Amino acid sequence: MPSGVLEILKRVTRDPLGLLGLVLVVIVIGAALFADAISPYDPARIDVLNKLQGPSAAHWLGTDQLGRDTLSRIIHGARVAMGIAVFSIGIGAFIGLILGILAGYGPRWLDAVLIFFFDSLSAIPLILFALTVIVILGPGTGTLIFVIALISIPVYGRLVRAQTLSLRRSEFILAEQSMGASLPRIVGIHLLPNVLGPLVILVSMDIPTVVALEAALSYLGLGVKPPTPSWGTILNDGYVSLRTNPSLVIAAGIPLVIATLGFTFFGEALRDALDPKLKGRRAS
Amino acid sequence: MKIKGHFDRRGFLQLSAFLSAGMVLPQSRLSFAAEGDLLRIRSDSDITRLDPAFEIGNLEDITNRCVLISLVRLSDMRKGNAISPWGAETIEQTDPKTITFTLRPGLKWTGGFGAVTPEDVKYSFERIADPKNESPWKYQFEKLDSVEVKDERTGIIHLKEPFQPIWLASLPYYGGHVVCKAAVEKAGGKYTTEIPAQCGPYLLDKWEPKQKMTFKANPDWPGPRPEFGSVEVNIVEDDQAAQLAYEAKAFDYCRVSAAAAKGLKEKPLPDTTLIEAQSTRYVWLTINIDNPRLKDPKVRQALQYAFDGEQVIAGTYEGLVPRSTGVVQPGTAFTRAKNIIDKPDYEKAKALLAEAGASDLKLNLATLNDSRYMTACQVIQATMAQAGITIEIQPYDEGAYWVLGDKTQGDGYKNLELVLMAFAGGIDPSENLVWFRPDQIGVYNWSAFDSPEFEELYNKALSEPDQAKRKEMYNRMEDLMEESGGFIFVCHEPFVAIHKNTFEPEILADGYPNPVGFKKL
Repeated sequence: MPSGVLEILKRVTRDPLGLLGLVLVVIVIGAALFADAISPYDPARIDVLNKLQGPSAAHWLGTDQLGRDTLSRIIHGARVAMGIAVFSIGIGAFIGLILGILAGYGPRWLDAVLIFFFDSLSAIPLILFALTVIVILGPGTGTLIFVIALISIPVYGRLVRAQTLSLRRSEFILAEQSMGASLPRIVGIHLLPNVLGPLVILVSMDIPTVVALEAALSYLGLGVKPPTPSWGTILNDGYVSLRTNPSLVIAAGIPLVIATLGFTFFGEALRDALDPKLKGRRAS
Repeated sequence: MKIKGHFDRRGFLQLSAFLSAGMVLPQSRLSFAAEGDLLRIRSDSDITRLDPAFEIGNLEDITNRCVLISLVRLSDMRKGNAISPWGAETIEQTDPKTITFTLRPGLKWTGGFGAVTPEDVKYSFERIADPKNESPWKYQFEKLDSVEVKDERTGIIHLKEPFQPIWLASLPYYGGHVVCKAAVEKAGGKYTTEIPAQCGPYLLDKWEPKQKMTFKANPDWPGPRPEFGSVEVNIVEDDQAAQLAYEAKAFDYCRVSAAAAKGLKEKPLPDTTLIEAQSTRYVWLTINIDNPRLKDPKVRQALQYAFDGEQVIAGTYEGLVPRSTGVVQPGTAFTRAKNIIDKPDYEKAKALLAEAGASDLKLNLATLNDSRYMTACQVIQATMAQAGITIEIQPYDEGAYWVLGDKTQGDGYKNLELVLMAFAGGIDPSENLVWFRPDQIGVYNWSAFDSPEFEELYNKALSEPDQAKRKEMYNRMEDLMEESGGFIFVCHEPFVAIHKNTFEPEILADGYPNPVGFKKL
């Protein structure tokens, strides 16, 4: 692991909430990565004769309305949640990064066009936009990733543009320009490393929002399709049998809380660790 | 006691004492509305079109049962659906093509439209039968020739040919409700949510969209008084919320989900009666015969062999009902004995797919985005996977779902593959089979099932007076449906409802209550 990353992790873990966040994030990511290995059952295997069972030695978190093992579905739900969050935010951040640099470093007319594009996308209410796209394209993992990526582009684009605008007038960039450095060199060597830090912080803070959005849309039946397990669909399944078997709703709610708190605490600690002003204050 | 203006300590104490007494007195009418004069029932949907010629059903028909008349009415579905005169004082089939009726004396329209006359009956029935009006209930009167008006109360229904379903399907409800000719014509020939004139045991007092409908007893109703002076129908779409509302004493009668039955039996609610019955609502899996991927009969047969009805019913309906052998109501004289393919055989399904060169079959299964049907689809998905068939579930909201097979919306209906469908049926077999006639392709026959023999049998059975022969015909029609590979019959859904044990509800064959027939105990 590069020493810079280790140093940042050290700073994050110095904060108790940062440490807690990191642990929770590791649990969620670990569950997502090793879901097949650690799940006791196939999450799609139905057993209707043993449906809606409470927690037992065979099924630690009980079974759902089709007799599927709830723990296995929750573990695989982490993979779905993380997969959608990473892909959608990754795509949104990548496109936002490119467009932000173009807006901040390109000609004024291009900046105006891109700002108009960002403003237009931001003006659309999030849930309404998501529902409209889902109605047109149909629900599914691909649609969810597309919707979330699209709506996150302006957020990242604006951040990168602001960073680029302030950097393009900095002395080291002006010096590079006066020495005849090429555009790819200025962008790749000087701009990119300086805008990536704030972008990573924003991305880590956005993950819980995306996880919650995916769960909310899946809860409404507009997210991932069955039999793919999602925390939102497990919550929905649990709602139907809430009166007789509340353990399903509780079991599906806990990972949502863990993921949300984990990424929020981790993101805040990461921001503190990477923020030079705050770092200076702490050092003193 | 002073409440207005000056409200002093004494007034407060008096009011408190009055309220406390009201709550603790054993005979208090404040405790449960159903013990008083108000009946509160639940509906899971609101009204859109109250005109009997164009209504969809559910609360619309509950309303028409209250505010209009039909010549005859049915008894509770649990008591055999017996027919008795209602708006008619007498009604008699004088020969296979003639029914003579005399209206109950004293029936009167609101709004100054005078007495209910056979002219109103003629207008109501002939309007539905007229193909120009495109009433969804026109099949109920397709053999109607005319209604002859004899005098102020007597009329004769003339049929083109004998029509067996007229007593059970046409006259008691839905298209059988009589409207006021003068009032409807004044309203432009049809209406939606504003009833131009009413004559039933209740009058619609208030409609609060998406919330409730309130009915008050009609003081001019000449028949037996309904036992509750007012009826509130509260609209609660969600079954869970409705059950909670019942437990919070907000309803006196409430239909609940089948999944709730087990819990309600294990932990019975106080002062509550649980009703479990088989409804007329039938569920089946549509296989679009015309879809290129399903053209080969072997592929369709493989799907039938890969279907495990027991698992679907256990997973979705708590095993409360048996698998259906067709669309005809189980337990009637017309029910088919068994399905041709009634047990899953995954090896046979695989062999058929291999023969058809479709071993890696992948199909889309469209369904309503409803927890009950989503559950059923997931069981179908899991069980069919055992035969190597990959099912992708496509959930749709109500509006999008019901146009999937509609040819007026473009050619999209031709691309359907599998659809989980459910229709509210009737007790005459013709009511359930009518939707699979060739003229329904691109309307409600989403299997594209096109059988001249089925059509011929359908028409013959309508006129056949011999019930044994009718049974043979209907059974053959269901055989034809299954042999086509366009259908997998699932079940007739269970009916589960709860009500205060201070009264006995009346539930008609369609599974919806008739507030007029509720009896206090």
